[in-house]
Amino acid sequence: MATVSAVASSPLHSAHKPDPLRQLGIMSLNGMFDEMDGVAVLKQAKEILPDDLAIVSSFGADSAVLLHMVAQVDVALPVYFLETGKHFAETLTYVETLKQHLGLTNIITLVPDPKDLARFDPNGDLWENDPDSCCHIRKTEPLDAAMEGYGGWVTGRKRYQTKERGVLPHFELTSDDRIKVNPLAYFSDVEVNAYKLKHGLPEHPLFAKGYKSIGCAPCTTIVAEGEDPRAGRWRGLNKKECGIHFDFNGAIAKPMAAEDLTLFKDGAFIADPFRVWTEGDDPASVRYTHIPVTVFLANRDAVLANPHPVGLLVSPGDRVEDVEKDLGRFASVAINFPGFTDGRGYSSARMIVERYGYKGEVRAVGDVLADQIPLMRRCGIEAFVVKHEPTRKALEAGALATVDVFYQPVGKTEVPLGTRPFLRRAV
Amino acid sequence: MYKYDEYDQQMVDARVAEFSDQVRRRLAGEITEDQFKPLRLMNGLYLQLHAYMLRVAVPYGTMSSKQLRMLGHIARTYDRNYGHFTTRQNIQFNWPKLRDIPKILELLASVEMHAIQTSGNCIRNITTDQFAGAAADEILDPRPVAEILRQWSSLHPEFLYLPRKFKIAMSGATHDRAAIRFHDIGLQATTNAEGEIGWEVWVGGGLGRTPIIGKLINPHVPHEHLLAYLESILRVYNRYGRRDNKYKARIKILVHEEGIDNIRAQVEEEFSHVKGGVLTLPQDELDRIGAYFAAPAFERLNSSAIDVAREKIINPSYGRWLDNNLNAHQRPGYVSVTVSLKPIGGAPGDATSEQMEAIADLAERYSFDELRVSHEQNLVLPHVKIADLPAIYEKLVEIGFAEGNAGLITDMIACPGLDFCALANARSIPIAQELSRKFAAPERQKQIGDLKIKISGCINACGHHHVGHIGILGVEKKGTELYQITVGGDATEQASIGDILGHGFVAEDVPDAIERLVDTYIARRESEAEPFIAAFRRLGKEPFKEALYGNG
Ligand code: SF4
Ligand code: SF4
Repeated sequence: MATVSAVASSPLHSAHKPDPLRQLGIMSLNGMFDEMDGVAVLKQAKEILPDDLAIVSSFGADSAVLLHMVAQVDVALPVYFLETGKHFAETLTYVETLKQHLGLTNIITLVPDPKDLARFDPNGDLWENDPDSCCHIRKTEPLDAAMEGYGGWVTGRKRYQTKERGVLPHFELTSDDRIKVNPLAYFSDVEVNAYKLKHGLPEHPLFAKGYKSIGCAPCTTIVAEGEDPRAGRWRGLNKKECGIHFDFNGAIAKPMAAEDLTLFKDGAFIADPFRVWTEGDDPASVRYTHIPVTVFLANRDAVLANPHPVGLLVSPGDRVEDVEKDLGRFASVAINFPGFTDGRGYSSARMIVERYGYKGEVRAVGDVLADQIPLMRRCGIEAFVVKHEPTRKALEAGALATVDVFYQPVGKTEVPLGTRPFLRRAV
Repeated sequence: MYKYDEYDQQMVDARVAEFSDQVRRRLAGEITEDQFKPLRLMNGLYLQLHAYMLRVAVPYGTMSSKQLRMLGHIARTYDRNYGHFTTRQNIQFNWPKLRDIPKILELLASVEMHAIQTSGNCIRNITTDQFAGAAADEILDPRPVAEILRQWSSLHPEFLYLPRKFKIAMSGATHDRAAIRFHDIGLQATTNAEGEIGWEVWVGGGLGRTPIIGKLINPHVPHEHLLAYLESILRVYNRYGRRDNKYKARIKILVHEEGIDNIRAQVEEEFSHVKGGVLTLPQDELDRIGAYFAAPAFERLNSSAIDVAREKIINPSYGRWLDNNLNAHQRPGYVSVTVSLKPIGGAPGDATSEQMEAIADLAERYSFDELRVSHEQNLVLPHVKIADLPAIYEKLVEIGFAEGNAGLITDMIACPGLDFCALANARSIPIAQELSRKFAAPERQKQIGDLKIKISGCINACGHHHVGHIGILGVEKKGTELYQITVGGDATEQASIGDILGHGFVAEDVPDAIERLVDTYIARRESEAEPFIAAFRRLGKEPFKEALYGNG
C-alpha cells in the first residue's frame, strides 16, 4: 500500500506532467478491485481524495445506479446537477425523487449565469438556432467553474458504450494530473438494469415513454427500438454534441480547461463536439467523428446507415468529386492541412463550398496557423481547430495581420463593388 | 504604363503592413525561422550565403524612371550601392538587413512596386517580351493581359501553397523573346482561322534539374476565357502535382508523368466548370486596362535611317553599339535601345545606384519615361527617337554601360552563383568575367556574331544554361568545382535543350574550351550569315565534341 499512500499524500494540483510514481499508483489501484466492485472503488477514491472528489449527474435514465453507490459510501459527497433551465419537468421531479430515496444531502444545482442568458439567449430560443452556444452557456460554463476546485471526480462511464471505452479502467490519471474514477467501468447494459431492479431504484418518469437518453426538453426526442439511445438527442438539428465534457451518463468526460476550447468559430473559441478519427473506429457507429474520405468510400453504406451525427475528413489527395453526392449526409467537413505548406486543402474547400454548395460547417484541422487562416477563410473555411498558441492568441485578440483587399472572388467573399468589375461575382 | 488605382495601392500597403508585422514577430521570437520562412519567401526575402536577399518584382519587366530611381535609392541606403537584375525581369538586393525590410517595402509601395510572390511556391512575377508595345513584329501588346494576370495571381488564396513555384511568361510577338516554352505556362499571342486574336497555351516547360520543352495544351484560348483556363490548370496542378519530392514537384513533371493528353483532359474537365463564370473577362475591362498601355505621344517622324557605316568610321564603338543594341520599332523614326549591363569584365546584370539613376534620367528624357528589364539581364529604353541616339550613347559611355554587345558572345546570362547563392556548386560570375575578357575584342565578337552563352552555378539553372547556344553549368565533383558544357540550346520558338558533350572542366580550362567551340564553328560555318545555332543544327554535335575532347 506504500505506493497508494504516496498518491494520497502528494498535493494534487501542483504537478503538470503525470509523474511516474502517480501513474504507478494508479496502476496498482486498478489492480485492487474486482470488476463489479463499484462501491469499493468509490470508497477508495474518497480515501485518496478527501474533500476533493465530486460527482456530476444528469439525473437521466441511467443515473440512479451511480448515485445509489454514492449514497452507500457517503451521502454527503457533493453531487452536481446542471439545471440548464431547459429540462423536462419530469427530470426536476426525478432529482427530488432520487434525493429522497437515496438520502443524498449534498446535491448542488448549477445554473447558467443570468448575465449570459440575458445577453445571448434573451428569448430562450438559442437552442433552436445555435445549440452549440446554448449548451455552452447553460452547461459548459457553469460546470467548468464548479469543477475547477476538485482533484478528482466520479463518472458513470461504462466500457461497453464505445469501442474507445473498451479499455476503460476504474482509475485514470488525466493529463493535468487529476483523477477520474469510473466505478461503473465494467458494467454492461444488462447489468445496469439488473442493478436497478435488485435495489428497487426509482425509474426516470420518461424512461417508460421511450426516452432512453434524456437531456434538455427541446433537444430530446423518443428513441425507436434498437436505435442508439442517443440518436434522440438533437434529432434533425445539425447539432454537434453538447459541451460534451459533460457526459450524459452523469459524468464529466474530461476536465474543462481553456486549452480544451480548441474550435474557433464565429469569433470565439468553443468546445469542440467532434473528436478525431482513430484507428479501429467503427464507421457504422461512431458519432461526432470526422470519418476520413477513404474510410467513408470503403464503407459508404455503413456510414450512410450510421444513425449518429458524423463529419467527413478531407485530406490532401482525396478526390472530393467522389463524395460530392453524399456531402449532405455530413454535419461537418474537416479539411486537413497536415503541413501548412500543403495547399491542396484550399482547392478541396473551394470545390466543396463553391461548386457543390455544401452548407454545413467547413473547418480546417491540422497545421492551422495565423498566417494561413485569412486564406482559408477566403476559400470558404469558417471554423478552425487551433493548437498553435500564438495563433490562438492572435485569433482571440482579433489581431490577425491580413490583407483584406483582394482581387479574386474566391469562396464566399466578394470583390467590392467599383473595383474590379471583371472579378466581381456574377449575381 | 499601368497606374495603380486606389485599390491596388491599398492591397500593396496592406501587404506591407502584414509582412512588417511578421518581421516584427520574427524579430521578437514569436515565430520560428521554420514558420517565418514561407512567409518571407512569399515576400521575396531569401536567406542567402551572406545575408538576406530581397527580390523585387518588376511586373512584366516594365518600369518608370521614378521606379528605377527608387531602386537606386534603396540600393544606396540599404544595400551596398548596387542591385542585380535577374533573368526573371526582377531586381535583387543582396545585402539588406531584416529590420530594414519593412521600410524598404514601404518605399517600394510608394512607387507602386512590391516583392509579393517573387519567391515561394506560388505564381511568380509574370514575364514578357522586353520590347512589348514597341517591337515591329508584334501581334499585340501582351502587357494589358499580363497586368490582368498579375491581379488575378496576386495573393490568390488557393494558389499560394502550390507544390512548387510557378512561372508564367507571355509573348505578343512572332519572335519569342520571353522563352515561353521554358515556363510552367507559356502564352503566345496567336490569330486563329477566324482572325480572332487569342493565346496559344504551352504548359510544363522548364529548366532546372530536368529541362523540358513545354507542350501545347490549347492552341487558342480567347482573352475572355484566359483567366478561367489558367485557373483550371492551376487547380489541376495544385491538386495533383507531386509534393513528395521537391525535385519532381514542378508541373513539368506532372505533365511528363501523366502525359499531355491526360492533363489536357483534366484541365478541360475543370474548365467546363469554371468557364463562363466569374472569371470571364469582358472586352471593356480589357480595353480599360489596355488604355493604361496606350502608345505614348509619338511624333510623326520620317523613317530616318542612320548611316551606321559612316558612324563606324568616326567612332567604331558607337557604330558597334548601333549595330547591335537597337531593335526595330513599330513607329517610323523610333527604335528600342538595349542598355547592356554586360560591360567587359563586369558582373552580368549588376548596376550601381548612380547607373540606375542615370538610366532613369535617360528614360525620362528620351523614352517617354519608360524602361524595361529583359530576361537577358539588360535594361531597355523602348521608345527612343533615332535622332536622340548620340546623346543617349554619350551618357551611357559616361556611366560605363555603352558596350555594343547585345546578343553577342559577351552578352552573357549568369546567375549569382557561389559568390552569393546558398545553393550554388560553383561560381558563375567569375567565369562570365573571364569569358567576357577573353572575347572582348570587338572584331572577334563581330566575327562570331549571334551567340548566347548562359551560365548557372548549379542544376537549378537560374542562368538558363540549358537554352544557351553554349551553356555552362557549375557542378561539384569530389570537392572540386567543375563546369559542364552544353551546346545547342535555344530559348526561342525553335526551342531546344543543349546537349552535354562530355566530362566537365575545371574553371581555368573553361575559356579555352569555349574558344575551341567558337573556332570550330567559324571554321565550319557555311558563311558569316549562318549563326552558331544554325551551324550546330546542321553539323550535329560531333565536330563540337571533338573540339572539346579531341577525337580520342
Ligand atoms: S441540450 Fe439543448 S436546450 Fe439544453 S443546453 Fe444544450 S442546446 Fe440548450
Ligand atoms: S543556378 Fe544555382 S547557383 Fe545559380 S542562382 Fe540559381 S540556385 Fe543559385
